[in-house]
Amino acid sequence: MTQEMAAGRTRAKLSVSDMITVGVFSALYFCICGVAMLIVNLCFGLPGTILLPAVTALLAGPVFMLLAARVRRFGAITVMGVVLGFVLFLAGHFATSLVTAIVFPLLADCIAQVGRHRNRIALMASYAVFSFGCAGPIVPMWMMRGAYVASLQRKGKDTATIDAIMANVNGTSLVVVIVATIACALVGGWLGLRMNRRHFAKAGVA
Amino acid sequence: MLASRGPLYLDPRTKLAMVVSSNLLMFLHAPASIEAVAAVLFAVPLLAGPRRGTGVRMLGLYFGLVAVQFAVAPLVGALPWLHLLGATAAALCMMLPCMIAGLSAVLTTRPGDFVCAMRRMHVPTVVVVPIVVLMRFFPTIRHDWRQIRHAQRLRGGTRNPLDALDRTLVPLLMNAVTVAQDLTVAALTKGLGADGPVTSLAQLRLRLRDAVAMALCAVPVVLALFL
Repeated sequence: MTQEMAAGRTRAKLSVSDMITVGVFSALYFCICGVAMLIVNLCFGLPGTILLPAVTALLAGPVFMLLAARVRRFGAITVMGVVLGFVLFLAGHFATSLVTAIVFPLLADCIAQVGRHRNRIALMASYAVFSFGCAGPIVPMWMMRGAYVASLQRKGKDTATIDAIMANVNGTSLVVVIVATIACALVGGWLGLRMNRRHFAKAGVA
Repeated sequence: MLASRGPLYLDPRTKLAMVVSSNLLMFLHAPASIEAVAAVLFAVPLLAGPRRGTGVRMLGLYFGLVAVQFAVAPLVGALPWLHLLGATAAALCMMLPCMIAGLSAVLTTRPGDFVCAMRRMHVPTVVVVPIVVLMRFFPTIRHDWRQIRHAQRLRGGTRNPLDALDRTLVPLLMNAVTVAQDLTVAALTKGLGADGPVTSLAQLRLRLRDAVAMALCAVPVVLALFL
């Protein structure tokens, strides 16, 4: 197996050891996601949730990069995304988290594959795309606004005020979220590669 | 964490149907009355089992937020900033039935039954194994985290956030790699890498109570569709 990795060849199937590695790293990623959720909610309240992918991207870079270094095979990144989406779904997040958790990691896996899971630029790009995988839980934020406005209308309230506030936020917030996530993912990915080089390569685990 | 198999022990697939139902309700913007009934319904597996406290707390939170919404509604005309409070409460209320259903599914199911149910639903092994490992690994992360915090306090902290990230993540990841290797050895010993059909100690059957539970879960969705 080690020789295969050294030769840069990639087998089609993930071995048992790969699957377990993916599981362990998914758990770590999930915990970091939870920490990021805590941070954004404490700092910005519930609307801060839209920054969840960005903060996660900033912190979870080392997890992603070490996984990519441990399992240089097509499929590992996709499976990690699918597992995370499934756990988020079970933890009571909206089903959109399942959709984003399949589409974006699959794309990320393809990008990493182009760089043969070694090219640093490909890995950084792959991580940036992967980071949108945990954008699923924030999609309902846009829907909830509709629900709140609808509930106000049912109670016969004037919705002009709330519409004015939220419409203003909504138009730009999507762009802000995307730009922030990509920027944070690039920083986080760089941190991950740096940590790989400085700590894990020396210890012989990356 | 272990759920006992009482007369109310539901098949994991039934609980999955419950989670799907809660998601559909959120998608359909169910009226508040249906949402409240659904929240209570989804909490039943928690209330019936050893996780009663969690169920009571979640329902308390839900109805507390409903109360906030009702308290805020007559005042927003005079104080527009209360919209923020109302919107937050409404958003949380909308998510809570989903979370309650998810907690019911995860906290009241034995891991073995969970694996068996996933295999029955033809989830590929490449997804089943990581999910099981992930669930088993959470307590380890918590334990490691405490140890790392302890060591950091002992040696004195750092003001540099980059160093702080290094000093937390490097030990966590190092340990993750070691645990992954140990688990691989253990799993291979137990025949995880073997070819051929996998048998299961857990025997799962959809019983009458599962059918009743699924029908009950479908009721709020149908009501939300046609009301």
